[in-house]
Order: sequence, then structure tokens, then C-alpha cells
Amino acid sequence: MIENRPWLTFISHATLMLGIALVALPVWMALVASTHPASAFGVGHIPLWFGSAGMETWQTVLFEQAGNGIDTPVWVMMLNSLVMALGITFGKIAISLLSAYAIVFFRFPFRNLCFWIIFMTLMLPVEVRIVPTYQVVANLDLLNSYTGLTLPLIASATATFLFRQCFLSIPGELVEAARIDGAGPWRFFFDILLPMSRTNIAALFVILFIYGWNQYLWPLLITTDDAYYTLVMSIKRMLSVNDGDIAWNQIMATTLLAMLPPVAVVIGMQKLFVKGLVDAEK
Amino acid sequence: MSDVVLKNIGKTYLNGFCAIPSMDLTIEEGEFIVLVGPSGCGKSTLLRMVAGLESITQGDLLIKGNKVNEKEPADRDIAMVFQNYALYPHMSVYGNMSYGLKNRGTSKAVIAEKVNAVATMLGLEELLERKPRELSGGQRQRVAMGRAMVRDPKVFLFDEPLSNLDAKLRVQMRMEIRQLQRKLGTTTLYVTHDQVEAMTLADRLVVLNKGVAEQIGTPMDLYNKPATPFVAAFIGSPSMNLFDANLTEKGVSLSESLYLPLPHAHRGSIVWGIRPEHLAIVDEQDADFALEILAVESLGAETLVHGVLKDGSVQGKAMVVRLAGPHNPELNSLLWLSAPATHWHIFDAITQQRL
Repeated sequence: MIENRPWLTFISHATLMLGIALVALPVWMALVASTHPASAFGVGHIPLWFGSAGMETWQTVLFEQAGNGIDTPVWVMMLNSLVMALGITFGKIAISLLSAYAIVFFRFPFRNLCFWIIFMTLMLPVEVRIVPTYQVVANLDLLNSYTGLTLPLIASATATFLFRQCFLSIPGELVEAARIDGAGPWRFFFDILLPMSRTNIAALFVILFIYGWNQYLWPLLITTDDAYYTLVMSIKRMLSVNDGDIAWNQIMATTLLAMLPPVAVVIGMQKLFVKGLVDAEK
Repeated sequence: MSDVVLKNIGKTYLNGFCAIPSMDLTIEEGEFIVLVGPSGCGKSTLLRMVAGLESITQGDLLIKGNKVNEKEPADRDIAMVFQNYALYPHMSVYGNMSYGLKNRGTSKAVIAEKVNAVATMLGLEELLERKPRELSGGQRQRVAMGRAMVRDPKVFLFDEPLSNLDAKLRVQMRMEIRQLQRKLGTTTLYVTHDQVEAMTLADRLVVLNKGVAEQIGTPMDLYNKPATPFVAAFIGSPSMNLFDANLTEKGVSLSESLYLPLPHAHRGSIVWGIRPEHLAIVDEQDADFALEILAVESLGAETLVHGVLKDGSVQGKAMVVRLAGPHNPELNSLLWLSAPATHWHIFDAITQQRL
């Protein structure tokens, strides 16, 4: 479509720029705020340009302690978040791949029932089943552990459904050709199925990583030991100060650090992500 | 020794639908057998039963004397070429062709040697590193055949492999498949719904109708002596002119007023047929009947004339005449034809068998 309407171009560009400004301004302010000393915020106006205390704040937060009673530095919490996010992501992908594989390619009794039971768990996210799940995890002695952080969040109906649709679109002839070529179930899974669904896996990786990284309620419940705090939940803890002297600079720095990994994943996997959602290269 | 033997083979689906009641077929070593029939006649099912992709519910399947009913497709020593090629989209041509060997634990050096030899034979040397999506239809077809040939199986199975190609390429690939099969001498079972493909490729044809083999024989047998009206109509293009008729003392009665003389005829209902190419234009006094011309298809080398029999009483028995070379008869005019008795095909109307 070739159009030459200068006004349309102008308005659309202006709208886009306004949108970018709306999204970017808070990020900018957080960045600026993290470079001012904590006292700068009691004055009544918000600084819009960098201050002088930047290096100091970032260093304290990253390597010494996050502030407000949390003794662990942010890098430890980033590591915790990363372990949790990656654990959830890989766990979800592995389990959904296997269950979708079973549901699509194997004939066993109650196959459809199994699928619908999995599908029904869509109605039961962690928030709904939080008390019993907590009980189970506590009884298994998994409080304050990486297993406890990841395991209850791993089962995923959404991902199973997505892979099921992806597998269903693989032509039957291909499965038969692999059978004639002597590929058993595992060979078929690893040699044919996995490579063919790699764009879907990548797209799902991005979504699930962000989902895992942004977990708030669950880590808040089951971690009581600073060593297992995750980044996202600790921000809230840093805010709850009794005497009102909130260390905004440190919080802003932590917030920015919490944003980095998801952004990195999205930017790094952008191409595969779009391909996985749009492209059907079968 | 016969290569593949189908003994009383049958297939009944779980829902009770009987796709193939019972079938006997003995295929000699190196023979090219074509299964042909209209869609839904069970030809693909039969092929897939031989391949092991469809279970056999009755009878025995022997390959080289071994009963293979219960064996996995990979253990039957067969290779199959699929209609949509079924190439692995994420693997290169080399990967596609070597996958079966790799799974069987063949050493890398042997695989490379075999794949390269087959690639040379099929003219695929330049394409070995390409992905299937970067190939044209004909090239994909070749890769699919290469994948089958690399394994050097006892039996090739083809499931309508040419139906996705354009007409010109189809003719070319047809000849290639025939030449390759002759060169390799591998027993081949080939499924198609295209009777031209069937006639040109086959050593022997199996014409299937509703899961039953109507006739098994060489292409020329089937053309000259079709056993049933179904085979008569299926083999040959345009297909044979078939009419319900009666045998009387006066001869073959196509309608109340139209008789074709036939000595010492007995009485009964028959199906009478003659191929379009065996009708000849003659003068009015020598003619057996007249055709009112409704449409003319000029193809250059031949002309097809479509019309209805004109016999005074009954109208509307459609007939096709095939004339060599260009002709230009006028529409709605009459064409006087003779139907030489040596080219007649007569079938019993009740048993559907050739008389």
C-alpha cells in the first residue's frame, strides 16, 4: 500500500512518540532519582536531571545491602529471581512438551479426559489454591528453598495447549515417514518434534520467563529467609518503613535492576518470539 | 521366488467398516505393480497395510517369505514415498536422506557414500545442503525418492507421489520413476487414481473397486479384455461407451428400434461397450447407427466428438467418438458410424462378468 498523506504520517508519528514518552518518562525518572541522595526527595520537587550520588547508591544496592533491613545485596536477589524464573520456564516447557506429546501422538484410554483435566487447571492459578499449596509445600519441608519457589508454579495448561495445537498441525505423513525411517518415540521427539517446534518454544520462553520473574505473591509467602528473597517481592519490603524515611534512591535503583533481565530476554529473543507467534513454517 | 505375497488380506475398521474384504496378490521380484481405482476404493489402505502403517485384521502378508503382519514399518525392509513427500522441514536434503540409515546405526562413512551415490543418480548433488522449503516441487519429489532409495529396501511403496506436480513435470517424473525402477530392479507397489499413470508405469495393474480387485493383469490385457464394465470404463481415456442392452434373436438391441447384428446370440440382459477409438465414420448405408453431434473437442492429433445416439425412438444415449487427426463436423449434424464386432465388449448385466 502506497499512501502519501503528510498529515497522516505526522499524526501517527506524533502518537507513537507520545506513547513512547508516556512509557519512558517513569523509567527516566527512576533512573534520575537513583542518582540523588535519599534526602533529595523530602524537599517537595522531583529532580529531572542526574544527581551526584549515582555511583555510590548503585554500588551499595548491588553489592552491599538492598536497604531497610534486607541484608542481602541485590545481586543475590537477582540470582534468586533468575533461578526461580528459569526454573519455572524450563520446568513448564519440559512438562508441557511431554504432556502435549502424550496427548497428541499416543492412543491411551481417557486421553481426552486427561487433556480436559489439564485444561481445567487454567481455572486454578496459584492465587486461588494458595492456602492448600502452601500447606503442601510446608509439609514437604520446602519453605525457603528453590524447589519450593519453582515447583508449585511449573504445571501449565496454557503451554500444554499451545504445544498441542502446534503438534496437531504436524502432518501425519511426517510421523509415518519417521516410523518407516526407524525413529522410535524418543528419537521422533528429539529429532523431529523438538526442532520443528523450536520457534514456539522460544516464544513461550519469553512469556514464561517474564511470568516467572514477576512472581510476587508466592515468593512473598514461602520465603522468610533473606537468602531466598527474590527481587520483585523485596521492593515491596523495602517500601514498608515505619518512620517514613523511605530510601527512594535505593528503591529506584533496585526497580531498574529488576526491569533489566526481562527487557534483555525480550530484546534478545525478539526475532524468534515474533516468528513463533506469527510464522507457521511446516 | 515371489517377493511380496498377500494372502486373503483384509481390513475391517473398529467401527465395523470393511475397507478390504479379502485380497490375494502375488508380486514377483522386480515387478512394478500399480494399484489403481477411484478415490475411496481402498488402494491407499492396502498400501498402508503393506507398509505397516495400518493394521491387518485378516490374512497374511509375506515379504521375501517372512510373515510380517505384526512387524513395525521400520522392520519390514520397505521404503515409502508419500503424496506430500513428508520431508523433515528442519533437516537438509542430506539429513533427510540419511536419517533412516542413521537410526539403523550405519556408520557415517557408509551413509555418506550411499547418500552421495543416490544423489548422483537423481541429480541432487548440488542440493544436499538445502532445506526442503528451498526446493521446487520436482526436486522435493526426487529427495523423497532418494530417501527411499538410500536404504536399498526390498520393496518400494509409492502413495500417489505425482499428484502434487504440474502436468508436464508429472509426465517427466513418470518416466524417471519407471527408468529408476528398471535400473534398480526393486519390487514396487504404486498407488494412483490416474489411469494414464497406471497404464504407463505398471508391469501389472490391480484395478480396485470398493476394496475388491476387479481385475489383475498387464495394461494391455486390461485394455483389450476388461473383465468387468467397471474396468472397461476405468481403463482408457476417454472411457469406453457402455450401454445397457438386450441380447435377442435379431442381435444386440440397444433400444427398441436399434439392433446390431450378432449371430447365434442367446437372450439376456447385457452391458454392451465399445471404445471411442474403435468407432469409424462410414457412409450411411454401411452404418450401424447415427450420432447426433453435441460437442467437438479438437486436440490437434485427435478429435473427440460427443453426441447422442439417434435411433428414432429413444433419445439421449451419450456416446464419445475418438477420431485421429483434425476433423470439423458441424454441431447437431449426424455422424454415421460403424461399430466393428471384433471390438465389442459384452458383459453380463447381472454377474457383471465378461461374456
